[in-house]
Amino acid sequence: MTELAQYLASGLVVGAIYGLIGIGFTAVYNVTGIVNFSQGDFASLGALAAIGFLAFGMPLAAAIAAAVLLIGLLGVLIERVAIRPVGNDVLRGIVITIGVGVALQGIAVLIWGTDAYALRAFSGERPIDLGGVTVPPQALWVLGTAAALMALLYIFFMRTYLGKAFRACALNAYAASLMGIPTRTMRAVGFFISAFSGAIAGVIVAPIAFMQYDSGIFLGIKGFVACIIGGFGNPIGAALGGLLLGLLEALATGYLSSGYKNAIAFVVLLAFLFVRPSGILGELEDVRR
Amino acid sequence: MKGAALLVVALAAVVLSGNGYLMNLVVVTALFALPALGLSLLMGYTGQISLGHAAFVGLGAYGTAILVRATGLSPWLTMAAAIALTTLCAWAIGWLVFRLRGHHLAMATLAFGIIVHVATVEWRSITGGQDGLSAIPSLEVLGYRLGSDAAILPLVWLACIVAMLLAQNLVRSPAGYAMRAVAENEAVAASLGIAPERIKRRIMALSGLYAGLGGALYAHYLGYISPSPFDVGFSIKLLLMVALGGFAGIWSVLFGVFFVVMTGEALKPLGQYDVILYGALLVIVMIWCPRGLLNGLELLWRAIAVHARAARTPG
Repeated sequence: MTELAQYLASGLVVGAIYGLIGIGFTAVYNVTGIVNFSQGDFASLGALAAIGFLAFGMPLAAAIAAAVLLIGLLGVLIERVAIRPVGNDVLRGIVITIGVGVALQGIAVLIWGTDAYALRAFSGERPIDLGGVTVPPQALWVLGTAAALMALLYIFFMRTYLGKAFRACALNAYAASLMGIPTRTMRAVGFFISAFSGAIAGVIVAPIAFMQYDSGIFLGIKGFVACIIGGFGNPIGAALGGLLLGLLEALATGYLSSGYKNAIAFVVLLAFLFVRPSGILGELEDVRR
Repeated sequence: MKGAALLVVALAAVVLSGNGYLMNLVVVTALFALPALGLSLLMGYTGQISLGHAAFVGLGAYGTAILVRATGLSPWLTMAAAIALTTLCAWAIGWLVFRLRGHHLAMATLAFGIIVHVATVEWRSITGGQDGLSAIPSLEVLGYRLGSDAAILPLVWLACIVAMLLAQNLVRSPAGYAMRAVAENEAVAASLGIAPERIKRRIMALSGLYAGLGGALYAHYLGYISPSPFDVGFSIKLLLMVALGGFAGIWSVLFGVFFVVMTGEALKPLGQYDVILYGALLVIVMIWCPRGLLNGLELLWRAIAVHARAARTPG
């Protein structure tokens, strides 16, 4: 029983990360119609940037804040330079975001080389005992930060003026522009939220999982799988999908073999794409014939 | 045909020059051109994205290498078997993934590519894992071993030119128009009596055949294969080659392949940093020259010419 609880705990932690990256996918997809194939690189770059700032002698909190803001602005820059010129062409959008991802990985190699780094744990390494389940303190940080960020994003989208404008733009950009909502700004906001939450996901998981220049590929694919499970374009679905994927992975690793860990994501991806491409929550037209 | 004749003359000049380095580059160009042509037929003409094409190249290479080592049959036979297997596999994958489109198709093919790459790394008993497979025999013609660059060059380019001519024939045939109709609008294509699904699967199979052929030739040419050349990075490189060629265009894709091979050589001193340029190139080409690098340069040249003329005219 404790074994199961242990697996569930580690699954939730990883799942929260996937969920955050999945939310990043939705923030961009809803306003631009583009699936950002470089989404995972925001996470790995965020973590590496925080590690870099820390190495410069900045205190941990300042390093993290600087890294996360930097990556958020990088997202805005990418939207302006690479995404805006192509408009809504799906194929070109895919190829461009792949190109952006490759270039970001190249820049990461340039700065950090190909070594893997871990960030210092936020509050020590001593495991905490929760009724038989031992977790590293960082696991609580991950869950707490993810929950807080999701709640903040929810309030932002539902309660603030900017969030409402953003949602209007996601529903119908043309109608929103007729109401005087600057759709271009909303696209930039989408990329900022996406890069920002991706970077936070990378930073909070970096003390548990080592990060290197190409860690973003797998993180990105798993975030995408989270979106597919929850229904693409639905942020709540992405969060739930991420948790579900994390739990499935943890259980497969625990009861089958660790070799299956990465295979699980792909099996789930293919199963959902073929059986239920609209996910467990979402309605998505135009996926299937 | 005129282009093919010119190409043959250029290749003959390369062989006669006896420059080993140049010959090596030319052989590599042909080996990359085969999968790139296949991808161009699928992406450029039929409008279906694939981010897992390196997997088909890998299947062709590993297929013939495993068969020839296990059975000791003639490499020609195992090559044919491996290519047939890759074609069949591509058809089956097509059957599976073409119920999706757009982003979902891209992600599904990317996942397929990663699964095949992981399998070549992890399935050590068959594929040799990271160490790869060595001692793959060279091809032989009439008792003459095609081991060196100079010896294999005519064969790989014969394969490449035949593949190009066949592809050119295909895109000019009624089937080629059907492919483009599917790329434009599937509903309209279907209303004209074209079966989009069938066309897509067949082109996927043909595309797999080209990639498998390239991979099988690669395995017998090098005599050694390992998983790393068939990773996602290679799929993206193929994408870059096809994008530089403007996606649709047999000759322009060949140019794209040549361009990437040459840039790769020029950037060798940079080591792993070359990917920055590949990524940037992909973005630049997609934004400013969606119809290929040559087309983009031509437009730029024309714009400059018009500008210059305007500047010369007084008033």
